[in-house]
Amino acid sequence: MLELQGFACGYGLVRAVETLDLKVEAGRITALLGPNGAGKTSTMMAIAGHVQVQAGRIMFKGEDMTGLPPAERTRRGIAIAPEGRRIFPDLTVAENLLVGGYTLPLIEARRIEQSVFELFPRLAERRRQAAGLLSGGEQQMLAIGRALMAKPKLLLVDELSLGLMPAMVEQCFEALLALKRQGLGVLLVEQNTHRALRVADRVAVLVSGRLAYEADGEQARKDPAMVDSFLGLR
Amino acid sequence: MYLLELLLVGLVWGCTYAMMALGLTLVYGLLRILHVAQATVFTLGAYVGLLVANHTGSLALAFPAAALSAAALGPLIYRLVYQPMLDKPPYVALVASIGLLIAMEDGFRLLFGPYGLSFTRNTWFTTTYSWAGLSLNVVQISMVIAAVGLLSAFAWFATRTRAGVAWRATVSDPAMAESFGVGVSGVRYQSFFIASALAGVAGVLVGLLNNLVEPGMGAMIGYKGLAIIVLGGLGNVPGTLVASLLLGVIESFGTVYLDKLLDRDAIAFLVLIVILMIRPQGLLGKAH
Repeated sequence: MLELQGFACGYGLVRAVETLDLKVEAGRITALLGPNGAGKTSTMMAIAGHVQVQAGRIMFKGEDMTGLPPAERTRRGIAIAPEGRRIFPDLTVAENLLVGGYTLPLIEARRIEQSVFELFPRLAERRRQAAGLLSGGEQQMLAIGRALMAKPKLLLVDELSLGLMPAMVEQCFEALLALKRQGLGVLLVEQNTHRALRVADRVAVLVSGRLAYEADGEQARKDPAMVDSFLGLR
Repeated sequence: MYLLELLLVGLVWGCTYAMMALGLTLVYGLLRILHVAQATVFTLGAYVGLLVANHTGSLALAFPAAALSAAALGPLIYRLVYQPMLDKPPYVALVASIGLLIAMEDGFRLLFGPYGLSFTRNTWFTTTYSWAGLSLNVVQISMVIAAVGLLSAFAWFATRTRAGVAWRATVSDPAMAESFGVGVSGVRYQSFFIASALAGVAGVLVGLLNNLVEPGMGAMIGYKGLAIIVLGGLGNVPGTLVASLLLGVIESFGTVYLDKLLDRDAIAFLVLIVILMIRPQGLLGKAH
């Protein structure tokens, strides 16, 4: 569904990702792992249209969308729950979701809101609360919910578990699995490698802006080479 | 009773300040620009209102005319002056804004003469209603009605419509809002449109109350507006409204009890200095 071809991205003269070829399929969770500073978040933000692509192409459903503005990518079916969550803290939960569905007609947005509330009942309970007052886990649910409001085919989730209580981490991963079963493609960046490996159908490891390892989840779970790649031994 | 009357007159002025300051705080919240030139939008509203009223004989017609002309000028200033310098540091836009205010003031002077114009039949000023020993003229009553009505309409827009919610999201995180399909450029024009319409209406009201419209009339209320949004905590809408009313009331009492020491207009800035020494984040602002 999503394909990065000879992809490089960065900020001005600074290259964050040197070269990367990656495929993300519908109905599967692809985990993009790697040490800090490997270029994972830059890759996510470049796919969403917020970081400059410096070489190569981003193909989505067979179309080149390398130069498209962020909103157009959302319309075509890519939505992001970004690093740090970046919910709108002064807006209520319901208002955050309303903005998430801005590209859709209001009636359709209302219907999707219902399915988001079914996925995350906690958000329904807190719908009139200011988002900035939610717990970290609830904010992460809201960030995912806001992205789902855009009716994406591909969901980008950057640092799902960072700073969350263990019970919340479980709930968020459960939600990703449920979304995957509905046929959504998920690209997940996660610092909790063990937890990510348990849900991933496909694993890619990025080290210093280059792809260091790639395999199916089944294989990666028992492959010592996966761990080595992290340490730059491959 | 006398104290109550002072309070009332203070609140009336506070309402007028609020109409001016809301726009300043909206623009600051969105673009981090201190929109000093809003004073010129205020003055334009007053002149257009006066010309329409004197030509048609209807004071009521002055308001839509002022609001529309002001609402045309504000977005134009954004497009021609601020937009080309958005990637420059904010003080560049501030200097341009001050320059524009001075240039426009002289423009009004050339067009309409230096001494100002008066309304030929200002019946709103001469008609007074009394109730329980308090009396207000129609202009003062209109100031309150206009401020409460327009600010309520704005509150409704910001909280009850999808465009309003998107507008607040853009103030909070422009890149994220844009990512979800909110047109950030449109939001900016909206802000200048709303801010300017409010300033234009305030311009006519102040013109009616002084029965004088003159080229420099915007400067003082413009500077006070800046003092108010700093007091309210820059970009903080509820804080701005509280600060507007507070300044109106303080001025009202100050003109009576401090008149030997201070000019009315000096009070605003004295209050600004004192409050910023105690609460640098503004009245309702959060401490950093």
